[in-house]
Amino acid sequence: MTTTLHPTPTQLPPSQHEFAEVIHRLEAGGAMLPNTPDNLKQIIGLYKAYAVPMDFYWRDLLYIAEQVFLDPLPLFKYFLPQAYLDLHNHYAGDDADLRVWRGEATAHPELLAFMEKGEIKRKLPKLLHHLWHDRINMEFAEECMRAMLWHRNMGGQFDPYLDTDEYIANADRAIKAYFRGNPVMLGLYKLFPEMFIEQVRQLSYYSNLGLFWEVMAPVFFEMSDLYDEGKLTTVPEAMNFLVNGIFAIAGRPIYHHVYIRGECYEIIPKSKGFMWLYEAALPYVEAVFYRTSPFRGTKSYNAQAKQVPDRQEDFHYGILYADVFPVGSAGIPPTLLMQDMLHFLPPYLVEYYQQYCRGEDDMLVQLGISFQRSMYCVTSAVIQALRQALLYPLDDPNPEHLQANRAFFESQLDRFKRPEARLRAIQNQEYR
Amino acid sequence: MLNVLIWFPCIAAVIVALLPQAIAAHRVRFISLCLSAVTLLWTLWLVSQFDLSNPTFQFRESLPWLPYLGLNYELGVDGLSLPLLGLNSLLTWIAIYSSRVDTERSRLFYSLILLISGGVAGAFLAQNLLLFFLFYEVELIPFYLLISVWGGTQQGSAATKFLLYTATSGGLILAGFLGIIWFSDTTSFTYEALLGQTLPLNIQYVLLILLLLGFGIKTPLVPLHTWLPETYVAASTPVAILLGGVLAKLGTYGIFRFCMVLFPEAWAQVSPGLATWAVVSVLYGALAAIAQKDIKRMVAYSSVGHMGYVLLAAAARTELSFVGAISQMFAHGLILALLFHLVGLIEAKAGTRDLEVLNGLMNPIRGLPLVSALLVLGGMASAGIPGLVGFIAEFLVFQGSYATFPIQTLISVVGTGLTAVYFVILLNRTCFGKLDNDLAYFPKVNWSERIPALILVTLIVVLGLQPAWLVRWSEPTTSALMAAAQELTPMPRLFTAKVLSHQSPPLLSVLEDSPST
Repeated sequence: MTTTLHPTPTQLPPSQHEFAEVIHRLEAGGAMLPNTPDNLKQIIGLYKAYAVPMDFYWRDLLYIAEQVFLDPLPLFKYFLPQAYLDLHNHYAGDDADLRVWRGEATAHPELLAFMEKGEIKRKLPKLLHHLWHDRINMEFAEECMRAMLWHRNMGGQFDPYLDTDEYIANADRAIKAYFRGNPVMLGLYKLFPEMFIEQVRQLSYYSNLGLFWEVMAPVFFEMSDLYDEGKLTTVPEAMNFLVNGIFAIAGRPIYHHVYIRGECYEIIPKSKGFMWLYEAALPYVEAVFYRTSPFRGTKSYNAQAKQVPDRQEDFHYGILYADVFPVGSAGIPPTLLMQDMLHFLPPYLVEYYQQYCRGEDDMLVQLGISFQRSMYCVTSAVIQALRQALLYPLDDPNPEHLQANRAFFESQLDRFKRPEARLRAIQNQEYR
Repeated sequence: MLNVLIWFPCIAAVIVALLPQAIAAHRVRFISLCLSAVTLLWTLWLVSQFDLSNPTFQFRESLPWLPYLGLNYELGVDGLSLPLLGLNSLLTWIAIYSSRVDTERSRLFYSLILLISGGVAGAFLAQNLLLFFLFYEVELIPFYLLISVWGGTQQGSAATKFLLYTATSGGLILAGFLGIIWFSDTTSFTYEALLGQTLPLNIQYVLLILLLLGFGIKTPLVPLHTWLPETYVAASTPVAILLGGVLAKLGTYGIFRFCMVLFPEAWAQVSPGLATWAVVSVLYGALAAIAQKDIKRMVAYSSVGHMGYVLLAAAARTELSFVGAISQMFAHGLILALLFHLVGLIEAKAGTRDLEVLNGLMNPIRGLPLVSALLVLGGMASAGIPGLVGFIAEFLVFQGSYATFPIQTLISVVGTGLTAVYFVILLNRTCFGKLDNDLAYFPKVNWSERIPALILVTLIVVLGLQPAWLVRWSEPTTSALMAAAQELTPMPRLFTAKVLSHQSPPLLSVLEDSPST
């Protein structure tokens, strides 16, 4: 986790791309986000504020995938049992597989404090907190999962596996075990087997996303701690931490286990060898950062006038493109996530936001835009990681290799030429 | 007592103008606000002293001035002028409140506004034709200065246009007044002395048309309205409030006070034409508003349409339509002031009035949510949605006019439908939709900036729910005027008599009854 990229000045002629400035920055080992102290403060503060609810998200996603499973009335799926709060994160704590964060492996203390009393700072029955929406909004996590499920076919082995006979046989076993002694549900399964299998596919994506975020939460916690200790001082350093993290964890297995009456059913066994980077991280970035689905709020689309693309791969409604004004949506723009993050902002960011725009009143928007900046940093890390995995080092002496790198960067940035992309906006510090 | 309404604002204007240079603009504004509040309180006190059982002029003042010219200082107030006086005092206060805190050359600005307040009050109170004309004309220069010095884009040409049009209006009115004196062989311009005049019908026509054109410019009625959009748009918010809320009422007030009452026979003959003219104004104003891209222009054109209803009511000349017209003048003053105030706030915060640019102002976090909500309410009131004062006024007008001019009334009802169309366009484009976060770095609206709008909205809602509080002031006067008109005029149409006989139940019961009364 200690290697850093050593950029050298580019030897190629200047790029003619619309985002030439950004491309040159990427070639010099930087991020799409300009390297300013302001940006660093915003993205690190947001990583911290994101990681706390994320600590809940991954635990609950796994709880739903593993325990709630096909419950036809999953009314209490957001009520996380103690066992899952105590579940040890594989990348934090003393018994970690790889200790990314130096903190504890169980649920984050700020999360537990919030779950106890909520925003109103009063201990009420859990159900009241839940109904009052004074809680962690799992709807955001589910919406991200649904974006991954809905888009599917984004590369990798995991997704095609969900259509194999082997997967269907595994799912079938679990379904029959889960509904044993329940003739109604078993009868329905007989009538509509595809529907049940599709539900299990969705649950496999629950597991996929839960395992993905299990990694990201400690990475973000560690970045926040390093920043607080003065060890992360620039945006490229933050990005490189992410790049190194991605490579260190790339191989973690992605699987789907279900626990029915104490017995483990391996719907997607670890032995399939699905890897975190290719089966979870990249599809997640593609689905949530780039694609998601048209904004379902006060804006209406005319599909006949091609305002919604014909092909799903042309969808660009993700966080990198979103207008983050809160509209109450679970998905993108991530209003519910922004509400969650508001509870865990580090004090320096609260103070920072109070100086701009409407201060306290529009903090939700300001943090949403910071979130967008931070996700541009994560996307930069992914682009750099892909470049590192598939192409050449940035300081490669061979100009042809550098040219190949540039072509790669340019093709990546082509996706931000669309008018709604916020890459232009985040170059400006006044975009808040 | 009435003197105070005229001369206190004038003295206040002098005081404000003579304030030391060192006093900051916001203090000058505060002092002006206090002074106009005194006038407002005095008006309220007068209202409380107003005798509802007396249909004639009250609180009369009379002082010989230039008796050999027939010009005497004669004042009085009745049910027609009382609501308008209240409107004038209220909107002056609102206008001062909604002015910018850092207005440049503030002493001149506020003293001009106070001067206008006194002048308008004088016009509403004058019981002498020449005195009315003097007060009517005295507003021109302050308004010209207010538009040309503190106005927005193209304020110079707008102010000149305003001056030319309204000076013409004044000239026509003076010609009309002089004609009355010459042809009726009197030497006094005293209003009441002229009430019984019996001029030949053809002379009545000529004089009536002169006056109608004069007041029609001020009101304004299509096609004499062309000064209005530019002037309203160029004027700053407080000036636009006074122009639309108060000054336009001088035109309609003149039509009722002089055209209708002084020439009853000729009026009865031309009224079908006037009703048609009113319909043209209503439709033109509404259709022109639909086509606008600038929200202030849209509101300005809405004013043209709404003044058409007043003319329709005047043409119909029934007791009910008369009450409706007075209510409409008052309601329109409140609503237009509210709309101009809100449009001014939007322009100040969002930096534009362009319908194509504004969007999603309802956004609670970065938009102007309360301003948008109040704008929705203002639009509803203007479109005549029940429960708001605009509905009461328009309903009375239509109810009162239908029997006399059914076709024109029905077309005017279509006009209110068109009002709803352009307000829906306005609200849909500006308030609803999605706020673009590339543009929306609007400053916050403070509570103090919302106060004028909240006061106006309260009045709009309260008077909408309790219209009796509005119509009671004018009812005795309108009954008496209509009774007098009935005696004077041979009924031109049979069904007018029928209508009047329908009016015998008290007005308030009509309001509470179904439309089929």
